[in-house]
Amino acid sequence: MGRVLPRARADTQTRTAPRFSYKTTAYLFVLPYLIFFLAFRLGPALVGLGMAFTNWRIVGQPDWVGFSNFEAMTRDTRFLDALRNTAVFTVLTVPLLIIVGLALAIFMNQPRRGRTIGRVAVFIPYVLMSTVVGVLWTWMLERDFGLVNSYLKYLGIAPVPWLLNENVALYGIILTTIWWTVGYSMVLFLAGLQDIPEELYEAARIDGASPWALFRFVTIPLLSPTIFLVALLSIINSFQVFDQAYVMTSGGPGTSTLTLVQYVYTAAFQFSRMGYGAAIAVVLFVILIAIALIQARSYRRGLTGTMQ
Amino acid sequence: MRRLLVCSLLVVMLFSVSLATAQSTTIEFWGGWTGPDAETMQGLVDEWNAANPDLQVNLTMQQWSPLFDAFITSAAAGDSPDILAMHPQEMAQFIDLGLILPLDDIIAGSDVLKVENFSENAWNLNKYEGVQYAIPLDLHMHGIFYNVDMFEAAGIDTLPVTGAEFVEAARMLTLDANGKHPGDDGFDAANVVQYGTSMHTNHHAFFQWWALYNQLDGQFLSEDGMQCAWDLDKATQAWQWLQDLVYTHGVAPQGQTDYPADFLSGRTAMLIDGPWRMPQLEQAQADQGFNWGVIEYPVVFDHPAVWGSGHNFTLPTNADPAKQADALRFLEWLVSNSQGWAVSGQLPVFNSVSESEAFLELPGRSSFVEMLPYEVILPGIVKYNEIFASNAPTPMMVLAQDIMLNDAEVRPAVETACNEITAILSIP
Repeated sequence: MGRVLPRARADTQTRTAPRFSYKTTAYLFVLPYLIFFLAFRLGPALVGLGMAFTNWRIVGQPDWVGFSNFEAMTRDTRFLDALRNTAVFTVLTVPLLIIVGLALAIFMNQPRRGRTIGRVAVFIPYVLMSTVVGVLWTWMLERDFGLVNSYLKYLGIAPVPWLLNENVALYGIILTTIWWTVGYSMVLFLAGLQDIPEELYEAARIDGASPWALFRFVTIPLLSPTIFLVALLSIINSFQVFDQAYVMTSGGPGTSTLTLVQYVYTAAFQFSRMGYGAAIAVVLFVILIAIALIQARSYRRGLTGTMQ
Repeated sequence: MRRLLVCSLLVVMLFSVSLATAQSTTIEFWGGWTGPDAETMQGLVDEWNAANPDLQVNLTMQQWSPLFDAFITSAAAGDSPDILAMHPQEMAQFIDLGLILPLDDIIAGSDVLKVENFSENAWNLNKYEGVQYAIPLDLHMHGIFYNVDMFEAAGIDTLPVTGAEFVEAARMLTLDANGKHPGDDGFDAANVVQYGTSMHTNHHAFFQWWALYNQLDGQFLSEDGMQCAWDLDKATQAWQWLQDLVYTHGVAPQGQTDYPADFLSGRTAMLIDGPWRMPQLEQAQADQGFNWGVIEYPVVFDHPAVWGSGHNFTLPTNADPAKQADALRFLEWLVSNSQGWAVSGQLPVFNSVSESEAFLELPGRSSFVEMLPYEVILPGIVKYNEIFASNAPTPMMVLAQDIMLNDAEVRPAVETACNEITAILSIP
């Protein structure tokens, strides 16, 4: 294939000289995205970085205040609460998204009746808006009349004050998030599973491998790039959790579901402390970059390991 | 030929439309009303627009908090609506940012917008450091709605006035599955079928605390405004009374969230809420024969005081100065024709409206009007949002939820909140 293409290109070149070189064409294709990326992503991000070192209040002139926003963060119990909640949320959500997503994918990958409907049913919550999900689950998790507690009641379990108790509210948000986004990791895993050649399973079966051995020594190693991808995407998304928590609890009761992104919004827009909000956003950015780098490195090490 | 005719007709039509729009001015009016209030306000604006083709008002509404976010960001970009509605306690932060105008000179020439025409209390609430910044539309405050049939069934024939009477009435109205009241032998707290009263777990919990704390003459801030100056004994006493209704007397449900629904379905016999609830209750009365009445907020401590607030109109600094006179013309009409607004349950403060028979004949209004002199609003300070915002982890929200949801020990929670408030005030 690789050899055929250039020759085909050479043919057309003899007839009409291309107006742009191959490279220029490629850049032109990227240009529309690049403009938007610079104007609405990178540009504001750089301005935000500068803002983090000022006391800007949205209106009026900003004054340079050095690192004092970052120093203030270390004494701010609200910020520390938000950091802890976000970390706990991520640590619990990401493994669940991987395990539940993979289990669903394996189940939906088997040839059985109605699997298309099953896949659609699991994926469909993902296309809903976050506010819709938040409102829906506020109702589902309502203590006295909510659907979840009414099922628990059938099982003889006492009603859980999902969103009303500091100690369980975060779990309510986690449950909601899993239901909402697990379809996406399932789809990624399904694609990964279908890339594994059937011959490998056959060969292993001939060698007398048990279903568990098939899973452990064929599925998992060959799926590891997908697992890595799902883990990275879920960590990044989890660290940025905001909408559903804001809709369902606004960070309460107390500060039990306050997340970093909500605190950025609250500080910047509700309290008009744009500089401080930007500083928190910078911290969030540094955390995410660090996680991505660590993960990429360990993944590369893992790859060389399998090759050896 | 026919096509030419159609084309030229279209051109003429377009031309005349643009001429018509050139002659009329449009002013932008932003407000945070959602729900039934929003329809009422839109109705008033539509009425004005129909009668005044030369001055059209474009009303934009979304919830208060995102509305103010949008206002601040658009003001930062140099653009503002011509009229912005808000509540008196929220003005200070906008004054501090220089986003709303002092009105004394602007309204000096108006025959309508002057203190003589308004409830004096309402007018003065819209001053900041002695300067008028807003024109009041209405006031609202907490009152107690009660289920008339349940009161009759419980044999309560005198309505409660004091805190003790309120608790006793609520006890008589609280029933377990066997018809027993809290405090009776064999009362089953796990199987309560009817509670005496609702009890807030949201920002209205600290609104109630503010009323009770004022009944004790408590102070919020130090004279210089830089420190929390709570009298910890009084602050604790006021919170304790609210917490006891749920956790000691057992006359209010724990962790309540949908207060009006619980009242209308008969889960609670009383509902602590504001006059904005009246249209819904009137509807329930018409549809299902739901019998309700209004009691004044109880006098629990030394003297009456009830939490309240109101709606007002401000003129943003960055609005087009050429449209200021038009904005005032519309506001003069709106406040003096606010009998239409009274339908929404709010209490108009324009004298000729609030003293009219048509208004006082509306059901339930008179009890709220009785409470007008006792209304206390939250301190209107620059850092209002950082201390009181209901959709952020503010000290008052955290304190309210700690006490009303977690049954926290009151005094330490109060001390923590007071220290946090001082810390917030100390940030420049």
